[in-house]
Amino acid sequence: MAFILRRLVFYCVAIFVAITFNFVMPRLMPGDPVDAMFAAAGGKLPPETLAAYKEMLGFVDAPLWQQYLQYLQSVVTLDLGPSIMLFPTPVTEVLSNTLPWTVFLAGIATILSIVIGCFIGLYASYNRGGFVDRVMPVFWQFIASMPQAVTALMIFFVFALTLRWFPLGFGFDPDLDPGLRPGFLANVAYHAVLPLVTLMLSMIATWVFTMRNAMVNVLGEDYIAMAKAKGLSSRRIMTHYAARNAILPVVTAVSMALGFAVAGQVFIETVFNYPGIGQLIIKSVAARDYPLMQACFLLIVICVLMANFVADILYVWLDPRLRK
Amino acid sequence: MTRLLSLLGGIAGFYRGNTAGIVGSTIVALILAMCLAAPALTGFDPDKRVARGHQPPSAEHVMGTTRAGKDVWSQALYGGRVSLMVAFAAATVTSIIALAVGVSSGYFGGRTDEIMMAVTNVMLVFPQLPLLIILAAFLGNVGPLVIALILGLTSWPWGARVMRSQTLALRNKEFITAAEIMGEAKWRIIVVEIMPNLVSLAAGMFVGTALYAIGAQAGLEFLGLGDPTVTSWGTMLYWAQSSAAFFVGAWWDFIVPGSFIALVGGGLALINISIDQISNPKLKTGSYLRTWRRLNAEINAKR
Repeated sequence: MAFILRRLVFYCVAIFVAITFNFVMPRLMPGDPVDAMFAAAGGKLPPETLAAYKEMLGFVDAPLWQQYLQYLQSVVTLDLGPSIMLFPTPVTEVLSNTLPWTVFLAGIATILSIVIGCFIGLYASYNRGGFVDRVMPVFWQFIASMPQAVTALMIFFVFALTLRWFPLGFGFDPDLDPGLRPGFLANVAYHAVLPLVTLMLSMIATWVFTMRNAMVNVLGEDYIAMAKAKGLSSRRIMTHYAARNAILPVVTAVSMALGFAVAGQVFIETVFNYPGIGQLIIKSVAARDYPLMQACFLLIVICVLMANFVADILYVWLDPRLRK
Repeated sequence: MTRLLSLLGGIAGFYRGNTAGIVGSTIVALILAMCLAAPALTGFDPDKRVARGHQPPSAEHVMGTTRAGKDVWSQALYGGRVSLMVAFAAATVTSIIALAVGVSSGYFGGRTDEIMMAVTNVMLVFPQLPLLIILAAFLGNVGPLVIALILGLTSWPWGARVMRSQTLALRNKEFITAAEIMGEAKWRIIVVEIMPNLVSLAAGMFVGTALYAIGAQAGLEFLGLGDPTVTSWGTMLYWAQSSAAFFVGAWWDFIVPGSFIALVGGGLALINISIDQISNPKLKTGSYLRTWRRLNAEINAKR
């Protein structure tokens, strides 16, 4: 329990650091960012909102600590104001429309790449020193080392643009009504294929290595020798004795991977024009929509921290040694 | 002289029977040499309009031209200098910070260790890419030097943790105790006794960071956060994207810088894997185990 509590305090500190980072960055910029933002919006916005924004972002005529308290208050109460790029939609509404897409992609890609990667890792450790063991980890590492922007562009070019097997972008066809109907869900799945595959290509290597190394460690244990001496089939030893124990580091790494998948989709969503939070943060940067940009950043950080926290809890639950 | 020879022997030993290492190093060395020899390999100025826009590859322009009529092959070579320089500069900054933080935290322990590790852990838990995007957005069209700096200054926490745990393991070895009893200065123990034992880890960290920096730089520039007037592989992708090269069928505009990035990335990854396979006892299998045993036998024979 003390462990969980300590981690909770740590994550609260981290969120606090992120908020402070958001507060400090605009103040380090030359000039007034709120004015710059309004200049970029090109007079689209009514002048009275300027004062409202200044107040919300803490740009008031007051000492720095008062500005900071003001900013903290508007973050904690989720009073993030309207987005500038999509005026007058509130920032919170823009975020709640985009986050599900990203979590959907990240979740499915994480699950699929774990299944595929662990299977390869299991097979590689099963036939240690064999062809799969020597080639597959290196091969996947090679694939994963290519920058996501490049992989995404190549896949987009070949499968969407040249072969026309998959759509050129968006989460679903714009002329369809969203709803929980088979036709619509199939369309969503069809649009998600290429982003999913790109994301998975960058994730599978981790699981191949995690699973393989965990298996190699476990296979050296005495109870494996015991199981062999009892004359159990090697398949039974693999699945019932080794893999069950080797899966522990994998399970705890899952939620962390999920967090980083949410954070790492910027390129994929930009290339495939997918309506998630990664694309949103880039659009808001381009439009100098600072409230939206900072909110995106904070939300991504919170997602990652939450995923880490879940990993901690899983870890305690699975490893009794930490439960003191 | 004998030290130089034994160093060369060590390097040769690392490569013997190590296919991934050989292939990776060859790819990276070849591309590095090509970029350095750019003036000999192309006659075109990368920043000048030399032909009509979006010409397909031909005898004169071996990899076609961009929308603005610049020679893609020449841009890839000269741009590679910038991209590789950023990657190696970022890796150098990261390695220095990670070594300094990790080793001092591991060696001194106590309060120093606590404070340094608290900072490291907070930085480690932050998602890097969004952090970089926000930084770049506020700094506004960042040039290669600034990109190298922010990449170097944000990617050291993981390396620092690795260095710290290795230093902790070394700290209680007899030779460190012996040095302390003999009254060696603390800085001398760190620099002369501990650091040489961290060389293979530091090399792995350097290569890993360079690999990450190549991708992150290309990504930031591709997203339009870099300085688009400086030619590098990332800005080439950015211009290709903003001139809709794919949609008008000018595939070479993307494929050339993309392939260079992918090749360097893959090459660095292969080097990293082979360093890791030899220095990480958990991974030893097959041919790597043989390489490791042979290197060990050679070291023992010299003693």
